[in-house]
Amino acid sequence: MADAVRLQREDFSLDEEVAALRALSPRVGGIATFLGCARDFSENRAVREISFDAYESMALAELQTLRTTAIAQFGLIEARLVHRLGTVQAGDNIVLIATAAEHRAPALDACRWLIDELKARVPIWKKEITPEGDVWVTPHP
Amino acid sequence: MIQVLFFGPVAERIGKRQIDVDFHPGLRWQDIYGELRAHHHEAFALVSVVAVNGKRVDEQDDTLLTDGAEVVFMSAFSGG
Repeated sequence: MADAVRLQREDFSLDEEVAALRALSPRVGGIATFLGCARDFSENRAVREISFDAYESMALAELQTLRTTAIAQFGLIEARLVHRLGTVQAGDNIVLIATAAEHRAPALDACRWLIDELKARVPIWKKEITPEGDVWVTPHP
Repeated sequence: MIQVLFFGPVAERIGKRQIDVDFHPGLRWQDIYGELRAHHHEAFALVSVVAVNGKRVDEQDDTLLTDGAEVVFMSAFSGG
């Protein structure tokens, strides 16, 4: 089974990540997911591709810390965090957060917390490739 | 030697991803920041996060750097 926390160039499978959570324990009663995708339009511009740069060693360490913190803070059974690097096409997957808990509330709360914290704490930068030129994205709230 | 790394928009404005800085005892990340900022003002205007050896530091952090340390000056993150 792939690591629960990963940075990778290739695409990932939502089904496989959820299956990995379900296989962990029959005590799992709820799985929440957030799937971030590459939009084809942003700030009044068509977007063809998105390119990601990262301080990989720190980004991976921060993701691992987020996972262990979320498991402890929300009482999760497990959490999986996958973020793509390199270049993705409009419509492609970018990031997946999947949380498993005995009940829906902690799974949903942790999923929201994880994606918000990822955006604030994980050193990854995104550049939109548009017909008018390339633009580094400024953080969204 | 201190390895100073840049990523994303900061690297693009500087035009490189790494600058090596000579180590001397008593060196702090703030010293490197001040020196590089004077030469790369536009890039450093973006810098809002600093890490030393993979850990975030703040302005009050007066820890002395050791030879071989890795210092990273980063802009606000935009992953996800």
